[in-house]
Amino acid sequence: MSIATVAVEPAASNLRLLSGNHACALGAIAAGCRFFAGYPITPSSEIAERLSRELPRVDGVFIQMEDEIASIAAVIGASMGGAKAMTATSGPGFSLKQENLGYAALAEIPCVIVNVMRGGPSTGMPTRPAQGDIMQARWGSHGDFPVIVLAPGSVREIYEETIRAFALAETYRTPVTVLYDQSIAQLLETVELKQPGAPVERKWASGPPEKYQPYAPLDNGVPAMARPGDGYRSHTTGLTHAENGFPTQTPEVVERNIGRLLGKLERHRAAIESFQTLRCEDADVVVVAVGISARAAGSAVAACRAKGIRAGMFRPITLWPFPEEALRRAASGARAVLVPEMNAGQMRLEVERVLGRDVRIEGLHKISGDPIDPAAITARIEALCI
Amino acid sequence: MNDPIVLEGNAAVEEFDVRKYIRLQMMPHFLCPGCGHGIALRALLWAVHELGIDKDRLAVVSGIGCAGRLSAYIDANTFHVTHGRPLAFASGLALVRPDLHVVVITGDGDCLAIGGNHFIHTCRRNLKLTCLMLNNEVYGMTGGQVSPTTSETRITTTTQLGNAEPHFDACALAAAAGAGFVGREVTHHVPKLKDVMRAALEHPGFAFVEVMSDCTEIFGRKNDMGSSPEMILRQKSEIRPSAYRDTVETPFRPNTLPTGVLMCNERPEYGAAYRQYAQTVKSAGDGKQKRG
Amino acid sequence: MEIRLGGTGGQGLILSAKMLADALARGGRRVAQSQTYEPTSRGGFCHSDLVVSHVEVDYPLATAIDYLVLLDRIALKPSLPLAKPGALVIADTRLCPELPEGKYTGCSLALSRTAIDLGSERVTNIVALGALVALTGVCERAALERAVRADTPRSFLDLNLEALEAGFRLGTEQSVRRVASPAPA
Repeated sequence: MSIATVAVEPAASNLRLLSGNHACALGAIAAGCRFFAGYPITPSSEIAERLSRELPRVDGVFIQMEDEIASIAAVIGASMGGAKAMTATSGPGFSLKQENLGYAALAEIPCVIVNVMRGGPSTGMPTRPAQGDIMQARWGSHGDFPVIVLAPGSVREIYEETIRAFALAETYRTPVTVLYDQSIAQLLETVELKQPGAPVERKWASGPPEKYQPYAPLDNGVPAMARPGDGYRSHTTGLTHAENGFPTQTPEVVERNIGRLLGKLERHRAAIESFQTLRCEDADVVVVAVGISARAAGSAVAACRAKGIRAGMFRPITLWPFPEEALRRAASGARAVLVPEMNAGQMRLEVERVLGRDVRIEGLHKISGDPIDPAAITARIEALCI
Repeated sequence: MNDPIVLEGNAAVEEFDVRKYIRLQMMPHFLCPGCGHGIALRALLWAVHELGIDKDRLAVVSGIGCAGRLSAYIDANTFHVTHGRPLAFASGLALVRPDLHVVVITGDGDCLAIGGNHFIHTCRRNLKLTCLMLNNEVYGMTGGQVSPTTSETRITTTTQLGNAEPHFDACALAAAAGAGFVGREVTHHVPKLKDVMRAALEHPGFAFVEVMSDCTEIFGRKNDMGSSPEMILRQKSEIRPSAYRDTVETPFRPNTLPTGVLMCNERPEYGAAYRQYAQTVKSAGDGKQKRG
Repeated sequence: MEIRLGGTGGQGLILSAKMLADALARGGRRVAQSQTYEPTSRGGFCHSDLVVSHVEVDYPLATAIDYLVLLDRIALKPSLPLAKPGALVIADTRLCPELPEGKYTGCSLALSRTAIDLGSERVTNIVALGALVALTGVCERAALERAVRADTPRSFLDLNLEALEAGFRLGTEQSVRRVASPAPA
């Protein structure tokens, strides 16, 4: 498998029109993704369609699998073989992928899952945007497991965050979810794509095979991975395992290994976290939002400032682990916090957990399948200032 | 992408010693006394030995259940994945690593019930994989529930008055779904089992082997099938080897299971077909794509 | 500046909005083009919007429309409330014959009739693009033509270019008339 850097688009520095889903596909190629398995689902299918054309050109493999479960399974299988691999889906498919997402988290197999959110629950509104998977992205699989979720807010950012998703997945050997919604997925924006750096590569096992312990952490808490064919002949399992990779139920060994797994991302929080603050320094009201809702919030903050109202915005770009300290700092002087989101109240719960009862926290929730209008946020900010 | 593997031919100059192919540190194994799965495992490793397959180039992917546990005993690159999904995991692995021998070990429940969809589509795709389905007619690890291959009238913990459901013929299913190679053998005939597995490993497309394996402890006991030697001897009366079929029809045993290589065809292998397709895309160049 | 092309699914609104976005981007503008669509590929309310700016677009979805093109009456009700006071509303004479009173400049054009006369109602979207650009000058005609060329399969190219020309003519005639006698407000 060739994992070398491939210059994707010679004209990548030019301003061009690109949709969110196409930006995701190009970001994946730029990050070194060489395997994609997926299943058609609105509104994410353009990612698969684009990659079915791009991957063969860079010696990669595209496959449309028989279902959502098979898609993530094939992605994990390809990653076990050494390829950077990705799948893309929407809410219903994301639910189906949860079991194997947990497998990738426990077995520490790097992979990227894109979830383009649409109206839910159930089949919901396939062609309408929503932000209803914020909690599923964190807690969707069973048991305690670490996960990284990135929430880009524009076409340009989808490209950049997809690249970062691969870098984080490889560095920390963990599944990374890229979470955005239908409105940005199918939005066409003029973007200037940054020339990507060399793809980040996971740490491969080296040294004598008889000394190799598949789950003994390196200095950074992340174990080196054995590539089939390199002579290590290790065992990978979804059963709780010891450092040697084999199943164990010995309490202290389980504690140690699952403890390291859960602490792995916490330990590197500073490197994983990413967020944007907009005029929070003197803000009376801080709006906390992600994705398309944050675009509306940014507009609302500008409108409020024009009226002399001191509003600010805090936008997690790394949604999970949630940038708690940064939010506390951003909201430290605020009288009120507003959480606009296209669901019945999910990120608001996290904001409440982080900020506690010291500040007034309100949600602006919309479940109609329409994005939240900037004017609606402006009106709520004004109301909170009275 | 690495080049697809080419078998160097029979490297079995030395006698087969199973200890060279298993992880001795994992012994004793966890299978019940009398279980047929150990025989199947030995036959697989014997075939691997005869073909001279390098352990470093052998990848074994297994699902959940008693059969799924076997991968941990093999001294190779082994992956014990989620229930029903080993064929899907293996498909991803085989597509990016055509230089590996990818073998899937699955059970009747893993392959035909929870993994049924993956099974038929893997057959259809005809990607180079060797799939061994160890059929013991029961969910052994969860305590003996009915499976898609449990014979009619058999007693299990979820069919206490006898199974009323018809059972799957996995080989007929695989053949109908397009598998390139289909074989079946019993654990009673170890050299034949090894030969079928060997032919499967050599096959360029998707190869499916159903191993009729006995669960004495959970299934046999409940159905008064006797001790494990009695169960394994019973296999002889229940099969109709393909060799016999070639010579003489056996009208006096019409309801027996055909064994041996049941089907082998030359359908295009998917991995090679995809690589060729990719070459065509590459040589077509960027001309076709200008919009972004 | 915000533009909406509204009509029903199957009228090629998304494709034509992409062409317009492409033309605007070629002219150095920052564009965000979005759409709402129904699960059906044909029929039902469908619209495609452009938010155009000289700097990176802040909120990318339409909230106050400057130019509204209506290719079917189904798009009237959900779109008119979003039109800015003083907006230009272009409606097809056949498919959206009635324009209610409002604080906008209405302009009925024989877009689909022109397309039918050219041989295919399917190019109504391109006629509409031409008319919109001729009337408003949102982008250079040459830029739009390049975008149409880039996004049209070869077998449709001649027809689409004819439709674009016809649209330019329709729009030009109309703007001459508007100068001569202001359109009803």
